[in-house]
Amino acid sequence: MKKKLTFKNFSIYFDQYLFISITLLSVMGLFFLYSASQGDLNTVIKQSIFVGFGLFLMFILSQPDPDFYKIFSSLFIVIAILLMFATMIFGREVNGAKRWLNFGFFTLQTSEIIKIALPIFLASYLYNKPLPISLKHTFITLALICFVFYLVYSQPDLGTGLVVFMAGIYILFLAGLSWKFIFTSFGLIVLSMPFLWNNFLEPFQRQRILTFIDPSSDPFGSSWNITQSKIAIGSGGMSGKGYQEGSQAHLNFLPEAETDFIFAVIAEEFGFIGICLLLSFFFFILLRCIYLAFNARDRFCRLTIGGLSLVFASTLFINLGMVVGIIPVVGMPMPFISKGGSSLLSFYIAFGIIISMATHKKLMQK
Amino acid sequence: MIDLNERYAEKKSFFNRLVVVYVFFGFVFSFFLYQTYSLQVSEYKDYETAAIANKTKEVLVQPVRGIIYDRSGKIIVNNVPTYDLILKASLIKSIDAFLSDLSPIIELDSDELDYVRENFDLKARYNRELIVKKNLSREEIAKFEVRGYKFPNAFIDVRYSRYNNYPELFSHAVGYVGGVNNDELDSILNSQALPQIETIFKYSNGFQIGKTGLESTYDQILRGKFGKKIFEVDARGRFVEEREFIKPKNGENLFTTLDIKAQQVAYDQMDNRRGAVVAIEIDSGSIVSYVSTPSFSTNAISNGISSRAFNALIQDNDKPFFDRASQGRYSPASTIKPAIALFGIENNIIDWDFSIEDPGYFILPEDQRVYRGWKKGGHGNVNLNKAMIVSSNTFFFSLAYKSDINKLIEHLSNFGFGTKVCADCFNPDKALLPTPEWKMNNLNFGWFKGDTVNLGVGQGYLSATPLQLAYYSTVLANKGTSKELSFIYEKQDIKDLNIQLNNTDDLDWKRLHQSMIGVIESPIGTAKRLQELKTYTVAAKSGTVELVSTDTKEDYKIIRENEGNRDHAIIIAFGPMPNPKYAVSVVIENGESGGSVAGPVAIEVLNSLIGK
Repeated sequence: MKKKLTFKNFSIYFDQYLFISITLLSVMGLFFLYSASQGDLNTVIKQSIFVGFGLFLMFILSQPDPDFYKIFSSLFIVIAILLMFATMIFGREVNGAKRWLNFGFFTLQTSEIIKIALPIFLASYLYNKPLPISLKHTFITLALICFVFYLVYSQPDLGTGLVVFMAGIYILFLAGLSWKFIFTSFGLIVLSMPFLWNNFLEPFQRQRILTFIDPSSDPFGSSWNITQSKIAIGSGGMSGKGYQEGSQAHLNFLPEAETDFIFAVIAEEFGFIGICLLLSFFFFILLRCIYLAFNARDRFCRLTIGGLSLVFASTLFINLGMVVGIIPVVGMPMPFISKGGSSLLSFYIAFGIIISMATHKKLMQK
Repeated sequence: MIDLNERYAEKKSFFNRLVVVYVFFGFVFSFFLYQTYSLQVSEYKDYETAAIANKTKEVLVQPVRGIIYDRSGKIIVNNVPTYDLILKASLIKSIDAFLSDLSPIIELDSDELDYVRENFDLKARYNRELIVKKNLSREEIAKFEVRGYKFPNAFIDVRYSRYNNYPELFSHAVGYVGGVNNDELDSILNSQALPQIETIFKYSNGFQIGKTGLESTYDQILRGKFGKKIFEVDARGRFVEEREFIKPKNGENLFTTLDIKAQQVAYDQMDNRRGAVVAIEIDSGSIVSYVSTPSFSTNAISNGISSRAFNALIQDNDKPFFDRASQGRYSPASTIKPAIALFGIENNIIDWDFSIEDPGYFILPEDQRVYRGWKKGGHGNVNLNKAMIVSSNTFFFSLAYKSDINKLIEHLSNFGFGTKVCADCFNPDKALLPTPEWKMNNLNFGWFKGDTVNLGVGQGYLSATPLQLAYYSTVLANKGTSKELSFIYEKQDIKDLNIQLNNTDDLDWKRLHQSMIGVIESPIGTAKRLQELKTYTVAAKSGTVELVSTDTKEDYKIIRENEGNRDHAIIIAFGPMPNPKYAVSVVIENGESGGSVAGPVAIEVLNSLIGK
């Protein structure tokens, strides 16, 4: 039940289903992180500050009327793009990638901002376009999507780039992209695969994909992560080894246990039963989003809820698929669970906006 | 304003499309769940095993090697625990930087520095430990422990060194141990049902395997069985905790028949001359002394030697590593004569009364070729007894001339020539008992009568090792019965090697022994100078191996200017007579006189065994 608590001169907008499930998920995340970081209290305290701040942010961002986001969406995307450029120039370089902008008290991964700004902007651009979306608007939208994708991709950050790209495509698709266009472009993409392979993928990305197809080609290189992750998950069995008992994580066999591969830690310690319970929370959140989208007050809200929830779902599935080895390693956190600042906050922001879209009703005065 | 119809169509389209996306995600999710289910439930066992294998490392624990004793229970080879400074070579980037950091704490001499520098790369490549310095003093240990934090990749640990109490005395008999090479490791692991070759590579160090001599022959017994420690390790291979410790089974001690005193006497008597001494206890066929000189220190070889010192040994012209006792091939020369004499009697070619005139040479009737004796003018009228005592070549030339070559070869092989005579010697050479087939195959010539004549005085193609000569001496002493030689009493599967002689009786043997006693005791004996060296009777036969054939003494004087051309001195002996207990053979390369140069060595060894 989405709520509008009305007081004398102002109202509070709040969806308790999303709020409670996200809070629970975040708290479980802290609990898992404590084990994944091998009992490092500092990491957990830092993360709980982010969680607290994130929940607060989610609450705040659900208060403005959707029109606020609609009106300022162009401003958001411009700011987000400027931040991307700033990252390109002033960004901190880590392992050959420039993804972070240092604000002194906080390093911001700017691609996380654009991941949210792009769907909102596209929703505000497309919400009043007649069905099906004309070729002209389709191309304008695609151009923007590709431009933003390229900005992220060139950092380089293929994982987030793909999520951003998918976010744009979801909006375009949900807004009513013509089926004719979909099938034609799909055919063209399949035909141009070899070209993309040769010209747009870095050698290490190609290697990752090749390793994914044939893991034995690179036993101690990039597939080491996947092999260890599979061992961690598989050795968890039906009921797991017990909290903080996972040898794969605690003896450092599992790489990136606090971030990308935290799911493997959970699977090792809590088994198949544990992850089914955990995933049911995610499942619930996504179902709730469908319900909210369907009942949203207008097309802009629908598109935004649909788009942002699909960004969330995509991130989750890319992470899960990567950890169990059904897609290549691209570097993608598990929402609300993995350690991280920007990526964690971005989902609280996204859900804040979703709640705003879902809870504000249009006054039927006209 | 959008009209209501259009708005309804839009809402329906949105919902349909959202469902399409979610159905797609549903498929992805099902696939994911299926994958997780198969990892965690269907393939659980495999992954559980993999996780355990990941975190478990086995380290083999070396058993202590068996001790080697001499016949009286004195220790020849022991294990000495030493505190060694050990380096994990693969974790060190620059060995020179390490050594210069180490130099104020632990001093290394130039040999040790050379050893470390030379072996560093190899040890690093194979992830093995490198022993920087052995046998640290208490002071050095204390100094290192205080500053040990500076050297995370080095540590001090107890290692057992193989220590020979008589390092040069037993270098060929007992041999030495060394590090394990990969082939050897494989066979050890197979024999102990330990297949974890990789584990061994990473962690096992300080393993020793017998490389030569008894250390090699009895390696299986001496080395015992490896124990193991099972550790939990983290991803970097660091030990987290010990889980299980299976104790090693120490090697069994080896009680040999060697006699330290006789060995020492033999070694001292050889005085670094090139040659070999082998002494046998006749009743048991056991080896009591086994010396090849010049020698080297087995302790240096076993426990690490710099390549400079090692190369010096390798390049030494006297070839100290060469085991002359079982691998040196020498013509038996006149020492063959007792066997030829027995052949003559057995085959009724001669008897003890038969005599010939010895003009100092023998002319082969076929081609008029002249075969000379060692004494110009000859020995006059010689019967078999005198021919043995004065070592008349003419007598034996003519005896061999009348012999059937194939029968003669079979006869000689019964005395150990061209055969393996030792059950547990390291790599014994069979030397060469030439046959007509051998000559045809190897030299592409048929067998000449002259070859048979040469065989009669132990020259020509025939060769034997000092070990074979000692065995031959034992067979002669024991009147044709003998066992395979061995370094331990009551060795299993030892062969009886009795000779079947039908036409030779005890009296013939006694007369043969008597003639060999005459070699020393007779005033005309070739080894008469040995008379005063002992207080009991000894039977012997000396020999002088011609390396360069000369017709006159003057010619020999010229060629002997070059030491390498001088004759080899050789003797076989056994005593005390008439009931001999020990048999001995001595070869001294370029020693010139069997009787007066090799003889005293043989007598001194017998003295030490018999106790004068």
